[in-house]
Amino acid sequence: MSTANVTLFDDEFLKKLEYLNIISKRLFAGQLRAERRTRKRGTGLEFADYRAYVAGDDFRHLDWKAYLRLNRLILKLFEEEEDLPIYFFVDSSQSMSYGNPSKLDYARRVCAALCYIGLANLDRVNVISFANGIKSEMPPQRGKGRIFKIFRFLMEITPGGETHARASFKTYCTETRRRGLAVVISDMFDGNGFESALDILRHVRHDIFVIHIASHEEIDPMLRGELQLVDSENNVSREITITPSLLAAYRAEFNKYCEAIESYCGKYQLGYARTVTDFPFEELVLKVFRQGRFLK
Amino acid sequence: MTFLALTAAQAGLLAATTVAIIIGLYLLKLRHRRVLISSSILWRRVLDERQSHSLWEKLRRIISIVIAATIALLIALSLARPEIESLTGKNERIVIVLDTSPTMNTNTSDGKTRWQHAAERAKSLLDSGGPTTEFRVLDTAEVTASAFTTDRNEVRKLIDTMSSKSAEPHFPRVDGRAAQVYFISDGVAIHSTPSFVKRISVFEPANNVGITAFEIRSVPSTPLGYEAYLEIQNFGQPTEAGLTLSGPGGQRIIKTVRLETEQTYKDVFDLSQFAEGGIRATVQAKDDAFPMDDVAFAYLPIKRKTRTLLVTKGNRYLETALKLDNYVELSVTEPASYRESPNIDTYIFDKFAPNAPPARPALIFGTPSAPWLKPAAGEIQKPEITTWSEDHPIMQYVSVHDVAIERAARIDADNLTVVAASKQTPLIVVSEKPKWVMLTFSLEASDFAFHVGFPVFIENVLAWFNRDQLALKRSPGIVDVPLANAQVQTIDGKTVPSEQQLGKTIFLANEPGLFAALRGDTRVHVAVNLANPTFSDVNRSIFKTDRTAARQQFWLRRELWFYMLLAAVVLISIEWFTYHRRITL
Repeated sequence: MSTANVTLFDDEFLKKLEYLNIISKRLFAGQLRAERRTRKRGTGLEFADYRAYVAGDDFRHLDWKAYLRLNRLILKLFEEEEDLPIYFFVDSSQSMSYGNPSKLDYARRVCAALCYIGLANLDRVNVISFANGIKSEMPPQRGKGRIFKIFRFLMEITPGGETHARASFKTYCTETRRRGLAVVISDMFDGNGFESALDILRHVRHDIFVIHIASHEEIDPMLRGELQLVDSENNVSREITITPSLLAAYRAEFNKYCEAIESYCGKYQLGYARTVTDFPFEELVLKVFRQGRFLK
Repeated sequence: MTFLALTAAQAGLLAATTVAIIIGLYLLKLRHRRVLISSSILWRRVLDERQSHSLWEKLRRIISIVIAATIALLIALSLARPEIESLTGKNERIVIVLDTSPTMNTNTSDGKTRWQHAAERAKSLLDSGGPTTEFRVLDTAEVTASAFTTDRNEVRKLIDTMSSKSAEPHFPRVDGRAAQVYFISDGVAIHSTPSFVKRISVFEPANNVGITAFEIRSVPSTPLGYEAYLEIQNFGQPTEAGLTLSGPGGQRIIKTVRLETEQTYKDVFDLSQFAEGGIRATVQAKDDAFPMDDVAFAYLPIKRKTRTLLVTKGNRYLETALKLDNYVELSVTEPASYRESPNIDTYIFDKFAPNAPPARPALIFGTPSAPWLKPAAGEIQKPEITTWSEDHPIMQYVSVHDVAIERAARIDADNLTVVAASKQTPLIVVSEKPKWVMLTFSLEASDFAFHVGFPVFIENVLAWFNRDQLALKRSPGIVDVPLANAQVQTIDGKTVPSEQQLGKTIFLANEPGLFAALRGDTRVHVAVNLANPTFSDVNRSIFKTDRTAARQQFWLRRELWFYMLLAAVVLISIEWFTYHRRITL
């Protein structure tokens, strides 16, 4: 593990992950853990339905009592129990490198924490790095032991490129059909609008949770005077004179932008949490849990 | 707009250069600080919205250039000292002539005097001038004559120190081509002014009963008697006037007369019961607005015969002249019989002088030898009287230019006053202390005794030796007394500041009064009275029909450059404030 890894995912971080794991178990006590009932009929313990026996069916699931009563071979059907696929879409566009600490570092920590809890619950965890397309993807992982592999994957993500979330999600969803929980960790700065991107995930019927990361420099920029503002993603620059009224207008626009995303998520019952980079990530994770949308 | 410091072309060039420099500096691109932001999405939205909807955003740069150019223009053009006639008035010179004649002391219905109104008008004239207008103040007494100045406060202070004073006002000489001339007057004392003079009136009709003549004179029928002549005139509405003559011993004559408009009352009052000293005449009338002519003064001398001792071996002309003098009580003796006597007021020595000077004054004919007299140093044959002093009391009304003299003694006139002289020698000399008059020629050696002025000369000498004279008559203002190095006192003994000028004593008397000029034993009384119908007629004003001049008021009180720099400072402050708040660029 590199020095950066040590810094980002050090022993302290691991302790926090354990703590979050315990907390999450308490929060979801009494509920099914890692046993997701699906519409598929399979070999689970939970009775689901009957149907007529056809050749080739497993004799072990025949209901002999019903045969005695009805003189017909009736097969008992059980619900299929399978693991939950969780897709972590980590925005690694250039804008995520902004801030101190950078939004990408914060996203890595949040993603690692949620991955750990998912792995601990025997869910299948997928981590996808995207910007103007799918930059890198980690194969599905199960079991707590895989967390270090995830750490390495996250640390290998480098920021760069413009954000085209719709194109990225579209590419991924066309390749991956299985529904699951899609966690989008991003600063939500997409020139084409994030709504259309989330629509893609929504249309393939993923459960969606949006973690919106912002930096203080974005919320309340300390800018003054004659400036040439350079967009970190596309290097487009613009000369402006920063005035108090302009700053006020920017703050208003930022709030409006966040409210629009939140409103969209509310409208389609998507999970949504907004945070800033100096907010403790473990509290954010707990906040996500408390919303009750992350794990069902 | 005109410029006082530059030509119009130079000012235009300066303005154009300034604006060009400012615009050039604005066109130079300010290097913006490069700042990396995560995304420009939100900034783009904000700026697009603001720039597309705000006219201010579009005009901001232009307004900044305009403000900067205006500041630079204001500073640059202020150096050229611009002038806008409608705001500041043109660069001009104004002469304010204030009428200081006595009638300006007339009270007006608001309780002020015409002079106070004139001073206010003069100050309002100062206010009406532009910042570059130069003012000069003159008066009709020719006492005040300031230089041209733009300092209004200085002129105001000067006006505050001025007062109405002169009894004989004269319109001063001013050049009407170089300046506008305003004459602030009641139009009473000075009726004619040059055509270029603009007159401003402070006239208001007023009631006045004034003394127009007052004097004490001898009674022709009684050589030692005196009478007072008083003349008063009503220049206002019909009224009753009270007359009072009061003497130093408490004597008083009171009379009341009814006077119609323009009516004159003349009266003669016997002063035989009055004691020697100042006589005061007053007149009181209801609503009298001009108090200066309500009082007049005169001096009443005591007249008695002069006990005179003529010491001569025989001089028919002299003896006859003295005997015919009503004011002389003559005794005659020969030189051998001469004895000084306490009962003698005056000695007349004819070709004789005692060894010791007499205790009383002496008139000496010839040049007798005596230790206290200047010795003769030869004779001059047929000297001609070339100079004589008419101002000396003994020479008043005496003409000596045609006196023929056969011979006269040559003397040294050191420490003596020469009142008549030829080119070679003094002919009539005067000693102040001891008091004596000496003619360096004898009456027999001249035809002086046959001249009409001789008895007058004898009377003058005897009067100068012993008698008080009637007071000299003067008008309020600068008073001159023909007595050099004299101290001037009021009748109650207060010293009045005086100056010496051309052998005269000069002092200032703004009010009527009785004064005494003293030098040694010599005393000259001066009665300062207005007593002039020209001044007492305070309603005889040309402004009854003449129009008064008006003057346009201007807004600004200082030169335009002051306000331009002030505006520049204000604009710089605004620019500083707005720039730091990024309202302007």
